Amino acid sequence: MYNVDDLYEKHGKPLGLELVAGKSGLSRSIKLPEVHRPGVALSGYLKSFANKRILIFGNVETQYLKDLKKEERIRRLKSILTPQLPAVIVAGRFQPVSELLALCEKMGIPLFRAKMATMNLLTRLTIIINEEFSPLMTCHGTLVEAFGVGVLIQGDSSVGKSEAALGMIERGHRLICDDVVRIRVREGTYLEGSGPELTRHLMEIRGIGIINVAHLYGAVCVRDDKRIDIVVKLEEWDDHRFYDRIGLDEKYCDLLGIKVPYHVLPVKPGRDVVLLIETIVLNHRLKEMGYNSAKEFNTKLLDTISKKQNAKKLKNENLSQSKS
Amino acid sequence: MKISRKVRVKNALGLHTRPATAIVKLLQGTKASVFFTHKSETVNARSIMSVLMLAATKNSLITITIEGEDAQEIMGKLVDAFEARFGE
Repeated sequence: MYNVDDLYEKHGKPLGLELVAGKSGLSRSIKLPEVHRPGVALSGYLKSFANKRILIFGNVETQYLKDLKKEERIRRLKSILTPQLPAVIVAGRFQPVSELLALCEKMGIPLFRAKMATMNLLTRLTIIINEEFSPLMTCHGTLVEAFGVGVLIQGDSSVGKSEAALGMIERGHRLICDDVVRIRVREGTYLEGSGPELTRHLMEIRGIGIINVAHLYGAVCVRDDKRIDIVVKLEEWDDHRFYDRIGLDEKYCDLLGIKVPYHVLPVKPGRDVVLLIETIVLNHRLKEMGYNSAKEFNTKLLDTISKKQNAKKLKNENLSQSKS
Repeated sequence: MKISRKVRVKNALGLHTRPATAIVKLLQGTKASVFFTHKSETVNARSIMSVLMLAATKNSLITITIEGEDAQEIMGKLVDAFEARFGE
């Protein structure tokens, strides 16, 4: 359950929020990831009023309230300050009218003032709340960034994920997190992974123990979050399994409803996992740029075959003509 | 076979490095997949960092979920270890 306190604690400072009344209601839950300017509702039209959303008062709302007679002002405010309301924010440095302050304090509805202009606050708050409400999952794996591409390395315990990541760091790539990756959908279109605060930039390597990558290799080798562009699954080499030899079929995996390119990478002594992951990444970049090595080769091959066939056909035709 | 059971952390310092090591050591050589759920977080119990990440304090509840042939046997061992406060 996401409540007003969570929002205030995490985003209060960047949004410039200042709590002015209704402290007792900080535990109110935010049920809908939306914000609302109560213009029409304030004028008395309450049909389908969005009473579960955070209300934002801007210049117009404040001016309108000031123009009303005191009794009317209280009546209108009471009609929109419902028990389910999560919070009220007065944006643009406006001073909330005294009746609003008193009512919020009395009803325990958190009332904030914000320095930011109303429209800016509206957009930023909408984005923030939407992200807070976006689907989240935790998965076992290691997230690294190589050549600007976010690679989620998955695989069973002790298949060598951490060792691969260590190799990547040594080659100048970056670690986001090892072991536990928190994945969140961003803007409904892509995935972003990050690590839990407590174990951030820490790795456990069998035989060595827990190491801090940021301290060992420097700040350049780590980052806090990264978009997940591809998933590489490390697997013990299985002689009975057929691994992709051409790379024409692109495989995808589904994470939180988002399709991500997926590669199964068999591991065995003598196969340099770091180099292989780097190659997958470079190939991915090339594909993004519009060049697919496998497809290009296939086209060339088909072209060569058809040319050969045509030449053969022509030769046969000439032969039969000269005979007749 | 999939079984799950709730256990309480009983040792004073909670799930710190030593108990986590004991858990991982106990699971070594077993086949089933073992997960710990604490609050809303579910992690792989075979990974020491994951277990540590939970930062479970004394008296916190942990749901152990085991799936695999040797599930029953592993569950018994794990519950015993929690009950014995990991020897602390």
